[in-house]
Amino acid sequence: MKKVLIVALMVLSCSSLFAQNRVTGRVTSSQDGTPIPFASVVVKGTMTGVASNENGAYVLDNVPSNAVLVFSSIGFNDLEVMVNGRGVVDAALAPNAESLEETIVVAYGTAKKGTYTGAASVVKQEAIKDVPTVSFEQALNGKVAGMQITGSSGQAGSAASIRIRGIGSMNASNEPLYVIDGVPAQSGDAGQMSDYIYSTNNVMNSLNPSDIESITVLKDAAASALYGSRAANGVILVTTKRGKEGRPTVTFKASVGITPDWAVKNFEPASVYDNVNALYTIFHDAATRVDGLNDAEAAADAVSMLNSRWNRFGYQLSTTGTGAYDPIKIEARTDGQIKRVDANGNLVFFDWMDAYFRKAIYQTYDLSVSGGTKTSSYYTSFSYTKDQGRVYINGFDRLSGRVNLNQKVGKFFELATNVAVASTSRTGFNDTINNSDNYFMQSVNLLWPLYWPDNYKDGSPWTSRYQSYGYNLLYYNNLWENKSKSLKLSVSETATIKFTDWLNFRTVFSYDDTRYRDHIYYSPEHFSGASDNGRVNEMSTIYQKIVSSSTLNFNKTFGNHTVSALVGFEAEKNQTDFHRSTGKDLPVSALHTVSTAGSLDASGYNWGNSMMSILSRLEYNFGGKYYASASFRRDGSSRLGPDTRWGNFWSVAASWRISEEEFMKSQDVIDNLRLRASYGVNGTLPSSNYGWRSLAGYSYQYMGSPGGALINAADANLSWETSYTYNLALEFGLFNNRLSGSVEYFNRDSKDLLQDVPISTITGFSSTLQNIGEINNHGFEVEINGDIIRNNNFRWSAGINASFIRSRVTKLYDDADIIWYDPTGGDGNTQFLYRVGESTLAIYGREWAGTNPENGDNLWYSNNSNADMQLNGRNVVLDFNDTDEVILGDANPFAYGGINTDIEWKGLTLGLNFLYKIGGQIYDGAVYRLADDGYFWNRIRGKQYLDNVWTPTNHSGIYPQLRGCDLEDAMEYSSRWMHDGSFLRLKTVSLGYNLPTNVVRKIGLDKARVYFNGSNLLTFSKYKWADPEVNAYGTRAFETPIGKTYTFGIELSF
Amino acid sequence: MKRIYNILLSLACILMLASCENFLDMAPTNQADSSTCLTSAQDAQVMLNGLIYNLTSANYYGRNFLLYGDAKGGDMTIYTGGNPGDALYYFNHSASSGSYSGFWSTGYFCLLQANNIIANIEKMKEEGTTENLDDYLGQALTIRALIHFDLVRLYGKPYDMDKSSVGIPVVTAQVNAAEKLQRDPVEKAYTQIVADLNEAATLLSKRASRGYVNYYANQMLLGKVYQYMGNQSSALAAFENVINSNVYTLYTPNNWVNSWTGEFGSESILEFGIYPSERDLGTGSLGCYYMRKGHINAANGNFYASKYWMDIMGENDVRWGVMDWDHYYNDSSVSDNIRARSHYGKDCCYKYSGSTKLAGDKGSSNYTAVNIKVFRLSEAYLLAAEAALAGNNAAKAADYLNAIAKRNPDYTPWTASTVTAEEIYKEYRREFLCEGKLFFEACRLNKTLTFEDNAYYGATVSSRRGLTIDRNNNLCRLPISIDEIHTNPDIQQNPGYSGTE
Repeated sequence: MKKVLIVALMVLSCSSLFAQNRVTGRVTSSQDGTPIPFASVVVKGTMTGVASNENGAYVLDNVPSNAVLVFSSIGFNDLEVMVNGRGVVDAALAPNAESLEETIVVAYGTAKKGTYTGAASVVKQEAIKDVPTVSFEQALNGKVAGMQITGSSGQAGSAASIRIRGIGSMNASNEPLYVIDGVPAQSGDAGQMSDYIYSTNNVMNSLNPSDIESITVLKDAAASALYGSRAANGVILVTTKRGKEGRPTVTFKASVGITPDWAVKNFEPASVYDNVNALYTIFHDAATRVDGLNDAEAAADAVSMLNSRWNRFGYQLSTTGTGAYDPIKIEARTDGQIKRVDANGNLVFFDWMDAYFRKAIYQTYDLSVSGGTKTSSYYTSFSYTKDQGRVYINGFDRLSGRVNLNQKVGKFFELATNVAVASTSRTGFNDTINNSDNYFMQSVNLLWPLYWPDNYKDGSPWTSRYQSYGYNLLYYNNLWENKSKSLKLSVSETATIKFTDWLNFRTVFSYDDTRYRDHIYYSPEHFSGASDNGRVNEMSTIYQKIVSSSTLNFNKTFGNHTVSALVGFEAEKNQTDFHRSTGKDLPVSALHTVSTAGSLDASGYNWGNSMMSILSRLEYNFGGKYYASASFRRDGSSRLGPDTRWGNFWSVAASWRISEEEFMKSQDVIDNLRLRASYGVNGTLPSSNYGWRSLAGYSYQYMGSPGGALINAADANLSWETSYTYNLALEFGLFNNRLSGSVEYFNRDSKDLLQDVPISTITGFSSTLQNIGEINNHGFEVEINGDIIRNNNFRWSAGINASFIRSRVTKLYDDADIIWYDPTGGDGNTQFLYRVGESTLAIYGREWAGTNPENGDNLWYSNNSNADMQLNGRNVVLDFNDTDEVILGDANPFAYGGINTDIEWKGLTLGLNFLYKIGGQIYDGAVYRLADDGYFWNRIRGKQYLDNVWTPTNHSGIYPQLRGCDLEDAMEYSSRWMHDGSFLRLKTVSLGYNLPTNVVRKIGLDKARVYFNGSNLLTFSKYKWADPEVNAYGTRAFETPIGKTYTFGIELSF
Repeated sequence: MKRIYNILLSLACILMLASCENFLDMAPTNQADSSTCLTSAQDAQVMLNGLIYNLTSANYYGRNFLLYGDAKGGDMTIYTGGNPGDALYYFNHSASSGSYSGFWSTGYFCLLQANNIIANIEKMKEEGTTENLDDYLGQALTIRALIHFDLVRLYGKPYDMDKSSVGIPVVTAQVNAAEKLQRDPVEKAYTQIVADLNEAATLLSKRASRGYVNYYANQMLLGKVYQYMGNQSSALAAFENVINSNVYTLYTPNNWVNSWTGEFGSESILEFGIYPSERDLGTGSLGCYYMRKGHINAANGNFYASKYWMDIMGENDVRWGVMDWDHYYNDSSVSDNIRARSHYGKDCCYKYSGSTKLAGDKGSSNYTAVNIKVFRLSEAYLLAAEAALAGNNAAKAADYLNAIAKRNPDYTPWTASTVTAEEIYKEYRREFLCEGKLFFEACRLNKTLTFEDNAYYGATVSSRRGLTIDRNNNLCRLPISIDEIHTNPDIQQNPGYSGTE
């Protein structure tokens, strides 16, 4: 506004000094060609200038023919154009992504980015729209400083995990609060299937990412304290699209993605021959070392063991000598219908990886219509998405529709209605370590290429267990099924009454109904259904959420003083109804329903929680230079007892726009410089709905009659976890805002953390939940963005964000250490220790000292006075039982973040997004099964392992010698399976082309764009065994890995 | 401020279309508040069911407590180490590993439940309830006595060995989370047990009971407790209350074997129900632990009867009927060389599989959900025989002994002049193999137990206990587990175990 006034003044004061040419033209946005009203047009080096009108047109008299015109407008980059004697000069301005005047969505309202006092990051639709993911979270990866997004599985439709600014809880949730269009939303895994097949189902899948306009991540207390008792882990605000004034715009978007392979090689098996030779070595060793046989006897024994495994699949194995390392010869048997040779007579093996995994296809189709008049606007969409997993049985699909309407009624009243419906369907499989039904584990660890899915004698399917305990799932795939269907209906109505232009009342009422129906069936012939003679479970889970939120908003300027205030109240109720019916003893394989079963079993109950709050905020600004704000919220929650259920949460914040001070006006390097600081208190509620209640449970049926028992020693004074956060930030914009960025420091003390405190078992219980522990997170976040090249035709921008976060345990009950295990999938991939002063992800176990180059033995640092020998001046023992467990490392990274760069040239755009992590250990909880010292005899060994194992001829091998005496060294939680987790990944690359407007117009379109997106195409990693992008605990096992996806899409609007 | 706040809340409620009153009170629908879970006779029955269900945990009567009584009893052996439960056999316990802390934690969990029932019934009585709750109260009191009796035998020295030595914390009321109770003398537990049993005896039903405690179960326990206290005459009176009631009858030699294929037989004074969808431990059941290795896929052959037991069995004793051959006998791949160095025989006990053909006890195809027989009439006879002999009534002792001994058709009836305490004990061993009693009785009677560690080729002698043991060895008491010591640092550890490691 100020600029417009200046321009107007200039126009008035600088009347015709020169008699020169008149220049006219239009100022438009380069992004969508819409006119830019009130843009300033100035002859460079003079005071001559004018503002464009409402249609973007301008007329400027007396322009020297060799002049340079400078076009500028709020929210756009400045543009300089040579007149070169022309009478018409049009200008297309590129939007400035880092605009300080940009309006962003914040808690209970909006704010201007450049003056907001809290720490918030915004991600816009453009940044996520081409990424082929069924829920939006994965697309945010690397785009927000301080936010870490991890998935525990590459399965289609599974849930992601988000940590904003570290780990703040031990027992309650570490996930942020999600708020969609002003209404707190359900997030994470939903339905019951994860209890049966250990595979998550993300409820956010029901939100079509194409409907999202923007996402705001609230990070500090000033930004999030208005969400009170649920905000300690940060808040993610999602805003869906709304119609804009203008004629209807129809947009159609279609894309197809192909995932032909994993992003990196995962647990690559060694060759068949290397593996057979290794197994032979183990048998040979067992016979000589343990049973005391001579070499010839041992070789005969070992070969007979090999043949007992693979004769039945059509192979004949023999030795070429009698030594433990003499190679094995494999030939095809000729006594069956099938001979394991190809047309040329060469031996063939079965490729299980190829049989289990496919080239997965991702497809999505979006159709949206939006538009509006002065009094009403609408946005409607319909979308279909189908995402196949790489495993044949894993898939997800979604149909969703949305209608967002705005209607002004009379002068004071405005109504906004959002209706969204989504139906999803998902099939998954077991992601945990499980011999019989984890497809990925089977293909890399259990199913030797020498095992076949058919019998070579007669070609019949192989149904019994292989020696390695794997199953022929190609056969069993048809004997079980699982499906989770969901239907989600969200309706919200917002009414706003504008009493005056400085006072309004706004109320939101929302109802959300999410229904999951889970079905899981095992035929009597399936190994999991055999003991029950067939089993089918039907489960229904209905989540209902009602939220009512009302606020009164005041905003008025008195001279240099601007005051805005908000008071409001909110109530929320969540109720979940669950029902399960189980049928066992199924009569006919064709019927997969409970009603046909011989034996029936059922369960059904409901649970829920409710919350009531009042909230308020006061903001003050003096002269556009000094800003202050304060907020207060009081929450009452049903998750806490009557005496403790009400709590207060608040924040104070201030900012100073240094660049607006007079003394900054004399220089032209710094355009924006701002300092802000905040302090506040947030909370986290207990995960359990009823943790404060002393309860009697009834799962103790005795002789067919109901039985009850007291089940807990509850603390009726249980309270929330409270976090105290301060935040300091410096924001800057240099060289006409071509270089901008921010540096933030935060410190978050999370206190009264819930802990299962061990108590004397004489009480009848072993622990009670209390508010005891404390954790500190502190660190820096840096964001730098710049336009490296910026002119009329070409723009190259780049940005980097980095987070350096330290997360430490600062208090525990009695300061006693707590050992805990990675909860992912219930596998206990590694062991952690909470110890005062140590990391919140301190890996705890025995310290492996490597392999003795003399004899291939395991060596262990004892970390106590035991010593069989010395190594590097430390005590080393041969038996791991003689060692003490110590903290081995930290799974929290030193730094993480993203690097984003994009290029724009004549309608072509190229964007690259990198994700990186520096430091932080990866603990591989799976690899010891394919790299152990001979405990798991029948498993496939990894290439990494067999290439680097100690043998009598390779004394430099880093892994101990293979033995046949069941060494358990490899199975210990130890530093042997810890790796540097640093990696750099080209997370997405997207290439788009906007067809020229004149071409597009001819075929009746406003806009046409074709694009390509590649996900996970390049990875540079220190950890070589498997994908380095691991879960939130820094561990991995046999979860389905992430794939490489190539997506092609087209977007049309008219 | 408060007024504004109330107005706001009321407004919120109007918009929520809900009553404000209870908006923040959300209670679970599958669980009840502990304070209101027992307010009627029906509730008492439900809580009693829950208590007995928990007694049948794998940590207690469901498996480990019975295993404890037999694996350590001298009449069992193992063919190899490494199977679950071998620490019991080897007496391989320490505070941090093999502490079998499940006895302690399950015991006190069950005591909490019993105390909750007792306290609530007493409260209802005080408040003048019109319902008759006597039987429930009597059952809970008897079960409280039973748990104290079991725990004091696991953790304390025998009463007649040193009754003033440290026993267990005696718990008769709910213990607060912050409390750290210390161990009471052995004698205090026995005093409480006798008091509870005597109070319960006046309340309990005298009808035969299926799966629950009645007056006769109470008297069985009372008799045993008196016997542990050395009070043989009171013990005899209690046992004769059972024997003379005629509510129960002994199995005849002909139907003894078959008695294991059914539940609640004519001898069953106290029998806990184990049902398929409840506490069935499946492949972890007692039946599977005692089964011949390989009889079903999951059977490891954990425990076999020792030669010392087989040696005292008459060739034609009917009780061989629940025993079957071990896997050495059946396995043709065992070389003669190995066979020659091994004990093998009909040493696998199938009492908890119904029969050697895995008949179970419920007439269904399930053979792992088999009821636990806590007290049988046979035990009343044999213990009464001992008490009578101690009271100089040898004729009566001989009669009681003969009633059981005749299960060996070749037996020579005992007379007042031939009956001895040693013969009664020997008969007890014949009758109660694998019923969880032999080690406890051996400790009470101060017997020296000899183990057949070298029964099978390749098996090793236990270095921990040696080939023989008697109750003077500290290993005959379990250690207090490290978990309890961590949370209750002043609790006294048993001699022979270090406090912290």
